[in-house]
Formats: sequence, C-alpha cells, structure tokens
Amino acid sequence: MVAIVTTRQCFFAVTLGVSLAIAGQVVAAPEIGPLPVLKVNEARAELGKRLFFDKRVSGDVGISCATCHEPENGYANKDALSKGYPGNKHFRNAPGLINTAHKKVWMHDGRIGTNLNDVTREMITEDYIMNMDMRIMQERFKQDPLYVEMFKAAGLGEPSNGGVRKAIPEYLKTLTSRGASFDKGTMSASAKRGMKIFKGKAGCVACHNGPVFTDGKAYNTGVKENFDVWLDPQRHQAFIAYAAFMGIKNYMNLKRDPGAHLQKHAADGSDMGKFITPSLRELKYTAPYMHNGTSKTLADVVAFYNRGGDNDRNKNARIKPLKLGKAEQKDLVAFLLALSGEPLTSSKHVWQEAYPAEYPVIANWLNVPN
Amino acid sequence: MGSFNKAEQKAPVLFLIITVVVTAVATMATVTFAMGDKPPATASKVSLSPMSAAEPTQPQVKTFAKVANPEIPPLAPLGPPPIPADNPMSDAKVALGKLLYFDPRLGGDASISCATCHEPEQGWSFAEGISRGYPGTVHWRGSQPVLNSAYYNKLFAAGSTPSLESQAPSAARGGVAGNGENDIMEARLRLIPDYVNRFNDVFGEPWPTINNAWKAIAAFERTLVQRDTPLDKYLLGDKTALDDQQLRGKTLYEGKARCILCHNGAFTTNEKYYNIGVPRATRWEEDGLAQVTFRFEQYAKGATEEMYRNIKDDAGLYYRNKNKWSMGKFRVPSLRYTKYTAPFMRQGQFYTLEEVIDFYDRGGFDEEGRTTSFPETKTPLVQKLGLSDEEKEDLLTFIEALSGDEILMDKPKLPPYKPLFTRAELQAAQAAK
Repeated sequence: MVAIVTTRQCFFAVTLGVSLAIAGQVVAAPEIGPLPVLKVNEARAELGKRLFFDKRVSGDVGISCATCHEPENGYANKDALSKGYPGNKHFRNAPGLINTAHKKVWMHDGRIGTNLNDVTREMITEDYIMNMDMRIMQERFKQDPLYVEMFKAAGLGEPSNGGVRKAIPEYLKTLTSRGASFDKGTMSASAKRGMKIFKGKAGCVACHNGPVFTDGKAYNTGVKENFDVWLDPQRHQAFIAYAAFMGIKNYMNLKRDPGAHLQKHAADGSDMGKFITPSLRELKYTAPYMHNGTSKTLADVVAFYNRGGDNDRNKNARIKPLKLGKAEQKDLVAFLLALSGEPLTSSKHVWQEAYPAEYPVIANWLNVPN
Repeated sequence: MGSFNKAEQKAPVLFLIITVVVTAVATMATVTFAMGDKPPATASKVSLSPMSAAEPTQPQVKTFAKVANPEIPPLAPLGPPPIPADNPMSDAKVALGKLLYFDPRLGGDASISCATCHEPEQGWSFAEGISRGYPGTVHWRGSQPVLNSAYYNKLFAAGSTPSLESQAPSAARGGVAGNGENDIMEARLRLIPDYVNRFNDVFGEPWPTINNAWKAIAAFERTLVQRDTPLDKYLLGDKTALDDQQLRGKTLYEGKARCILCHNGAFTTNEKYYNIGVPRATRWEEDGLAQVTFRFEQYAKGATEEMYRNIKDDAGLYYRNKNKWSMGKFRVPSLRYTKYTAPFMRQGQFYTLEEVIDFYDRGGFDEEGRTTSFPETKTPLVQKLGLSDEEKEDLLTFIEALSGDEILMDKPKLPPYKPLFTRAELQAAQAAK
C-alpha cells in the first residue's frame, strides 16, 4: 500500500483492513461507520447537564457553556466567530459538541490532546472564554443545596473543581449522534451517490474518517482569514492574549491565525494555518463552517474544496481542485446532511429548570463547619 | 515614611513631643500600657516575619510600664509622599495613570475599574461595610481609601503588598475584585492608540505593558494626597486652625483616649498590626454570597483544611505569616480623610466615627458587648477609657480636623479602541500567504 501515509496510518490500515483509492492515490483510512456506545454514569451526567447550562460557571456569571454551544445549533452557534467572555469576543468559531466525547483531540488548533477533563478546565478558566477562578466556582456550588445533593449522588463528594471537571465530560458523553440516516441505513439515492464521491473522487475520507469523520490531525486547507478577528478590537485582544500566551513569535504583527503552529512552532512557519480536521456529523445544525466561520453553507464548503481551497503556501498537497460537477456537489451535500441526526434539544439533554437567583444563606452559619 | 517626618520636624513639633511625654507620664500612674503591644526586639529582623507582629504578653506590659515611651512619633504636618526610585513621577505618567485608574478595561469583563470600588465620591473607597466585588461576587473586606494611600509602607488591610505598584495588580486580578488577567488587559491597552502613544511617551517602550500600567496608576495615586487639613495648618503655625474644642480633643487624643499610641506620626499610624477587638461582621451570617467569598478567601489565602472548616472570622495578619499570635490583627489605618470614608474597620463594622469612639471607650466592645473572635491576641493597649460625652464630642471634632475639604474628581473621557490593521493591510497579508 503506497500512500501519503505514515507508518502509523499503515498500521491502522492493517488493523482495520481498510483501503481506499483516492484521486489516483491509495490511501488507508479508518472506516466511516456508526459511533460506539459510551457507558454513561447517569447521576454524574445529570450533574454535568446542570453545570453545562449554569452561568455561575463563568467569572461574572454572564455566560454558561451553552451560551456559545447552543443545543438548537448542534451545540455550536450561528455566529461565524464565537461570543467569548463578556468584555471581549472570541476569534474562532465555536465547534459543535455533539460527539465530542468520541474525539481524541480537541480545539481547532489541537492544543489539548489529553481528555475532556482538561478541555473543561481550559474553557472555564481561560480569561477570554469563561474567566473563572475555579476556587470561587467551587464555593458557589457549595452554596447551592441542589448541587450539594447532586455531587453526592454522583459519587463526587462535596462540590469541587475536580468534580465539575468530571461531571461535564460525563454529560458530554450523552451528546452522541442518534438517528442519522447514514447510521440507520436510510440514506437517499443522492446521499448514497454523495458517499461514493466522498470516498472516491472528492477524497474527503482521507482526513474525515472513522466513526466521528475526523482523523484528529492538523492540516492547512487554505481557508481564508476572517478579517473580523483583526478589525474588531474585542476579538483581536483575545487573539493577542492567546497568541502571546502560546508563545507565538511576533504576535502583535500577526495577521493570520497560526492554528496548530503552536504545537511545534516550526521555525520556517510551514505549520502556520493548520487546523484539526473537524467532525462532519451534525453539520445540519452547526453552520457556519471552518475554524473561523468563513463558509456559510455546506454548498460553500463543497465549492471551497472543489476549487482546491484558497491561496496559502502551506496548503496541504491533498487539497487540489476536484472538478466536481454541480450534481456531484449536490450529492456530496446530501451525504453530509445524512450524517446529521435528531436534534438533542429535549430535557434529556438540556437542563430546563431555573437556577436559583441567589445563594441561599447557610443557616446557623456560626455553628456548622464551612 | 519616616523621611518626611524627620525632614519637617520643627519647633511646634518638638513642643508636641514634650507635651506627649508629659501626658504619657501623667497617665502612667493609672494605666499599664505606655508601649505595651510591642513585638520582640528581634521581630523586625527575622526574615520570615517581615511585618511588625505585635505580641501582647503581660511581661512586656510590665517592662514598658516602667518608662514613658520616648519613641511615639508626635503628630506632625504631612509631607510629600515618598516616591520610589524605580518609578519617578512625571506629569505625563500621572495623566496616563488617571485614565487607567478610571478605565474598566483593566478588569476581567471590562465592566469595573479601580474607581468602581475606590470612588472619589465615596471617599476614594466604597461606602458599604464590605465592598462590592467583581460582578457575580461580593468582596470580603471594606474598600481601602486610595486617597493618601501613597504614604503606607504596606497596602491592604493586613499589609499584604509592599507598594502601590504591587497593590494595583493584586486588586485588578483578584477573583472577587477585578478578576482580570495580565495578558488580555495588556492586549486591550495595545489596541487603544491613545494609550500606545502615551505609554511610548512615558516609558519609551514600543507597546504598553501591564507592569507599566501599574506604575502609571501608582504615580497617579501618589498625587491623591491631602496635606492641608486643619491639623496640618495648626502644626505649621496657624493657631486659629483648631478651635478650643478641637484642641481639647487633641489633648484627649494624645492622652486619655490613647489614640496616639498607634495613630501617631504625620500619617497618624505606626503601621503596626493589632487586634483591637473589632467583632465579626454580621453579614457573613446573613448573606449567602458573602459566605461564598468568605470560604474562597480562606482557601485562597492558604488556610489549613482544619482552619477552612472552622474559622468564622477574618484572621487578618495570620494569612500572611501563619503565626497564631497574628490572628485577627490588622494594620493601623491612618485617621486622615476619615470624614469621608465611612464605614470604618475592616468590614465596616461601624458606620460613624461616634460609633468608633464608643467602641474604644468600651475597651474594644460594640454596643451589644461583642468583641473580637480572637480574644487571645487582643491588644492590652485598648482599654476602657471612661470618656464623658463632652470628651467624646471633643475627640470627634479633633479627628474631623484630620480631614480637609473633600477631594473630588470628574471621571475622564476614556480613549477608544481602534483596529490595529486596516482592511487593506489584512488583504495584502492574505494575498501574500
């Protein structure tokens, strides 16, 4: 099997017994298919659900996880660039969180490749995201009798930072796609044709593979910058804070998103503008697309790849004009839509009860332990 | 601080020293303090305990009771504040510092500035017992007046920072105060062209840095001083500046009421740490949000698990040195400008100076008979005073003479953000990718 693949990918190819011919090359990729079932601790997930929608998880109690990861938008949101913390704005598109528990690497730049516990910590504490001193958060939740009960029921003892970081990932496991026609085997004829193009002529599967439709690797696909990152000082300030913190050189003069450059900081800049392959599931709900929201529709995304991306000297060799006809592009979009399931917007996934407006006073405070 | 005391000692001051000594000697027969609550002589040299922790042991009281204390610095006119060699003053720096002081972009969510909790109209502090906090929180202590803060050697109620330059970031970054992070606050400054120019002009560096922002704020704060109080005028020779009642109050202050023992020198504080018997703030028993912060502070200040579980009051100096003899001790505050800085004490336990005087008159008890949660460290300096109503009134009028006119300031118009790059520059960069 010759390919543009690493030894590790060859190993996968052997283990998974999959090989696909793409654009004249032979590429091995994990088979696309249904998602595995995750075992969920119900009490812990229920706690995580309440936390996910609770604004008290953020520094000034202005936003919750769901402010940027909205259930009705596939746990992403309609803004090209995410809201971020009050006082600033974000410089990237909020990714959808459905199936995030099935991933191995997180964030558009892949800076977290450990687990969702760490991702949760990063989101809560990062100053331009939720800006929460978790020591205060912990004390807030000790002051909420329902949390005291729920942490205990979840086997997490009294409310704690660590408990929050376990409960939210447990909840995220419940955000798993269900009912996609691709999974049910009920795809339309157009979608089926689209799947052939996806695996064949369009070569999408080279990166978008496995049950989550991502290889978890970073590539430069030639996505244009979203100038709003720099033209809006509230976004640019978050970008500067991020780039400075990540040790990106010359960050004040930077006019492009460095992406996964922060992983290895290639001296020649050849890794600038690489971003982690996103999942293709639930795209029906998560427009706009790309790490910076520059593609409004799936048709735009397909058109982007069909023209071989936009200009970038670091663009990956895989990205070449695809020469898809209009019908083929439509079929491809139909297939992508077949990867979206039912919306996860019922009380099963969304905490719908009100949160207390105040922290109840601990009665007899002088005579009970803190 | 001592520098301007010495520099400006003049004849009236020397006269005062004599008065004080005489008063102290006269008082000696009936009281047992004189120097009282003094730390061991070596304490200030022990590097582990840089603060002058007071040790109220009886043997010391006896020792010092034998002699009048010649070391109590007399009241004196307030000189200019000390200027650190590494942050010299300039008009441009002060002007920049003023803007930054009022700019909410130096905070987590860009909604509160230094001035939010240190309001010019509220005595450059915040007129509630416990200060408001960052949105979503409440603080756990009263806001300290910024006016005249330039004279303190240590800032915060328990003296946890050594300079205005280090106080500003502690406040701007603290979770229940400004909750800002250096990187984003610095980034904000860099996107405000007027600041870029001003920082460049003042500090000669290409970009604003957050540390230079603290320096500019500190320089501005060093201009917030009051040196023309009736007491200052009196001590500088204007004998009409204090009336007879105030002069009677002054005599009480320096004698029977014992204020001078700690509230001495030009700045009316010896800057040492005492537990004077202030009772616990009742708000912690009544307010869930305040209870949240109370526990956070224990955690954040390094309390042990046992202490975190059991403590029900602010241990003050203890958090800095973890010495049990420091429990409940706080830095003696200046009494200057107190006409405008109510309420008083670390959590605003008293709303008026009358209440404060009554508290001292009772020997460190409030009107309900409550006193400190840490009785073992309460200073013997605070004893029943036996002041008559007239004497209390006299003392009050004198303490009011430690404040001049109210110092107010209009909020400046803040410079706006502007994009750093033009669309054309971004397009050119895109084309060159």
